[in-house]
Amino acid sequence: MRSAALRALLMLLAAASPLAGQFRSGSDAGRALELERRGDYAGAAQLWRTVLAQHPDDLPALLGLERALTPQNRLGEMIPLVQAAARAAPSAGVWGIAIRVWTAASSPDSARAAVERWSAVEPTSDAPFQEWGLAAMSQRDRATARAAYELGRARLGRANALAAELGQIAALDADYPLAAREWTLALEATPGYRPSAMAVLGQIAPADRPALLEALRVHGSPQAERIAAGLMARWGDPLGAVRRLLASAGARGPDRGGLLQELFDDLRGTATVDLNHARGLLLEAIAEREQGARRSQRRLQAAQAYADAGDQAAARRMLGVLAQDPDATPSLAAGATSTLVTVLVDEGKLEEADRRFLELRGALNPEESQRMSLRLASGWVRAGRLGRADTLIAADSSVEALAVRGRIQLYRGDLAGAAVLLRNAGPFTGDRLAATGRVGILGLLQVLEADSSPELGSALFKLERRDSAGAVKALEALAAGTEPERGGSELMLLAGRLRSGLGESSEAERLFRAVMGSPAPASAAAAAFSLGEMQLRDGKRPEAIATLEQLLLAHPTSAVIPQARRLLDVARGAVPPV
Amino acid sequence: MKRRDLLRAAVAGVVADPFARAGRVHSLGSRRASWLLVPMDDRQSDHLKAYGLTFRVLERGSRAEWFLNYRAGSFLLPSDSATQRDATLTGVTVEPIDDGRVAEIRAEIAQANMDAVPLEKAPKVAVYAPPNAAPWDDAVTMALQYAGVSFEKIWDAEVVGDGLRNYDWLHLHHEDFTGQYSKFYLTYAGSPWLQEMVDRNQRMSRQLGFPSVPAQKKAVARRIGAFVEGGGFLFAMCTATETLDLALASENADIAASFADGSPMDPDASAKMRWERALAFQGARLEQSPSLASYSDIDGHQVNTPDRRQPLGAFTLFNFSAKIDPVATMLVQNHRQVIPDFYGLTTSFMKSALRPGVTVLADEPGAPWAKYIHGERGQGTWTFLGGHDPEDPQHQIGDAPTDLSTHPHSPGYRLILNNVLFPAAKKKELKT
Repeated sequence: MRSAALRALLMLLAAASPLAGQFRSGSDAGRALELERRGDYAGAAQLWRTVLAQHPDDLPALLGLERALTPQNRLGEMIPLVQAAARAAPSAGVWGIAIRVWTAASSPDSARAAVERWSAVEPTSDAPFQEWGLAAMSQRDRATARAAYELGRARLGRANALAAELGQIAALDADYPLAAREWTLALEATPGYRPSAMAVLGQIAPADRPALLEALRVHGSPQAERIAAGLMARWGDPLGAVRRLLASAGARGPDRGGLLQELFDDLRGTATVDLNHARGLLLEAIAEREQGARRSQRRLQAAQAYADAGDQAAARRMLGVLAQDPDATPSLAAGATSTLVTVLVDEGKLEEADRRFLELRGALNPEESQRMSLRLASGWVRAGRLGRADTLIAADSSVEALAVRGRIQLYRGDLAGAAVLLRNAGPFTGDRLAATGRVGILGLLQVLEADSSPELGSALFKLERRDSAGAVKALEALAAGTEPERGGSELMLLAGRLRSGLGESSEAERLFRAVMGSPAPASAAAAAFSLGEMQLRDGKRPEAIATLEQLLLAHPTSAVIPQARRLLDVARGAVPPV
Repeated sequence: MKRRDLLRAAVAGVVADPFARAGRVHSLGSRRASWLLVPMDDRQSDHLKAYGLTFRVLERGSRAEWFLNYRAGSFLLPSDSATQRDATLTGVTVEPIDDGRVAEIRAEIAQANMDAVPLEKAPKVAVYAPPNAAPWDDAVTMALQYAGVSFEKIWDAEVVGDGLRNYDWLHLHHEDFTGQYSKFYLTYAGSPWLQEMVDRNQRMSRQLGFPSVPAQKKAVARRIGAFVEGGGFLFAMCTATETLDLALASENADIAASFADGSPMDPDASAKMRWERALAFQGARLEQSPSLASYSDIDGHQVNTPDRRQPLGAFTLFNFSAKIDPVATMLVQNHRQVIPDFYGLTTSFMKSALRPGVTVLADEPGAPWAKYIHGERGQGTWTFLGGHDPEDPQHQIGDAPTDLSTHPHSPGYRLILNNVLFPAAKKKELKT
């Protein structure tokens, strides 16, 4: 840590010293550095000795020799040289080398003497004890390192001196009560140690984590609880982390805002339900510490986090508080109403959502207004009100609106109009699932070669409204009346996939096999893949392997071949299960 | 077939046609005969499965040829229906060629640093792993499973019971032959997986009648050493490389910490090592600390020792003379010469610790360590590759397993599979 930084600094200084100029001119020191770079440590050591023969107190050369001898396990050879340097020009750099050399030579008394002499010159410095502890640690001598730090604490007369170092050793010793106490002391003195504390304590084995969390609880200080919460967040329990910190005494203390904000900064990563919920709780608590518009802003963020977590009740509660907030600016109020509309759509309260949106529309910026209208339109589509949805986004020419309008036309049975709109929406609009679904529908429309089909629109509309059973029946009926090459196979394949999704495997297999025997090769290959996928899901591994092999051999140029080969690897156990 | 025979015959400079005797079976010598060339350069769609395709040709009793250095180590396979079907199913790129084209290729091979090595028999492959080991924690098992190379798992009971005689090729991965549970005993104390490992090993040592796990692992190491001595092919990765040699060389020294055998490590263990018994290393200084997951200074990278840990670079495969040294050439066949390095409990091997006669197959230019080494002992050979997983350079305990279907061109995994096919190489007949 600090001593490592000191050592790095010394080495940097060495490189920047007047010798550096000589290195470039091909001096012994320059050649020694070049040999070090090539890994010829024996040669480098010889050259560094040559430099030291002329200048026994040359610190860069001493450091160079130390670097060259360390990988050869010959550091003990430096003892007379270090003694000579200490006599000629004692300095912190020389004492540091002396401590490392004597520690490597298993001469703890000599190392301690060097520490004492250094400490006598710099009585308030941690560095001599840090250097000794670090040297002992590099020799895997944890007991000496601990003794070095404890001696330093006694000499320095500060209860929190060298706490981070002692905390690190306690964690390695699995002495969690001590580790908790030392790291807490370290953070209370130097908050900048928090990343180090998290890095050291975050690495302990899962089985030991409860013991550490309990030790931190017993310690009970705000910093201890903050460490515990940070660790819990790091270990994948953000909600538990926030609840623990909020329940702690620290969360009610004078530094509450700082602790909460620090934890909020730690809550990063993929937004899961738990993480959003944790953010909502934390933002709500932070808001209580804030004043004026900043508090209102935090409340709005909390409401949005709750809404994203699917906790509509908590979101509504925050929005209710915000509605009474005299400090809420017009833009904040608009944001609050926007969040409320989202909550209402998700709850299926479309009339109220619609009314709120119309009231709010003028106060929203264009992007926000568009986002809200699309969300509302999708809600109306799901509710079966295609006309209302269409009207809402009629003036919207964005690709997102084209995608929604394409779906509306499709459900109305206007296949030609739907195809144009969906094609214009492009392959990248919306999330991955929506984009994939759109491409699939376009593929179906392409083979159907019909401009209009109210029956298909009705079947797919049932699907949109989550009536899968009704959709399957409608699709099968439609497939029965359509030639295989003109879309009948694709309709049957879609029905089969829906049946598979409903868990009706035997019915699904019947449909897949019918498509596999049809004269539509692209559909046949896709049906074989779907059958193999279903068989594997159902635990019919040999059947899945046979199906997929048949697919690979019968349709070697099909677009599903890469997927099929991957699935065959999974079925054979050639790759790890997903 | 013994490695030395192959080497000696190869040095004699004979280019044999492996199908000369098999022609009656496959009609491969006639003008109508056709072949499948499996290119191993950048035109190959799945380099790793190409090895499995070739292996299965041998398993079916057919023969194959390995064109060393020709299009990055291509294979020549008979164009029978089974092979064609297999290539279609696995997605391996094959190029149908006729006898005329084969003759042209042979002419090209004869005039360049290339060679044609006959492959005649699928080796019987054993992987040393505990019975309940997860299949996805071992790069070789993953490579074999992905490529479709059949293998059997064996462990201590089989090895001590002379079960190795049933196999041609043995793979070791991250087993700790010093019997110290990868020295995770203190760092991961209390972890269920470690406890299970300790229990399993202790049960096995009791079952086999040994006083401790380290004593039993030494016996296992001796059996493995005898397997190589007797003509076996050994391939080891990660920490199995270093600890196997430490176990072999420590016959007269206690190199295990007290948590493993109840007695502390001999403080003079380094001086008591009998390195002449080791396969690859000599003169190493043993790590005395029981809490440090490092065994000695053989490993150049020391991944679990913060003060000594070295950053990862890239290693370069050496070029060998295909006609003079076909064995080394086989082991380095690849479509990439420079490969990103990857950590393991043992990542690399300090060149200063290598025994005389060890062949360095790959190293990091300018660094004092080698990555990939090979040698012989008695009638057999051994190959060591440092690191844990070529496609997971920073592998940590608990990481998701590597899915090789997302790395079908992995040059690091090709090195592993080169070793699997290497024992299939046929001894070339001498001219006289």
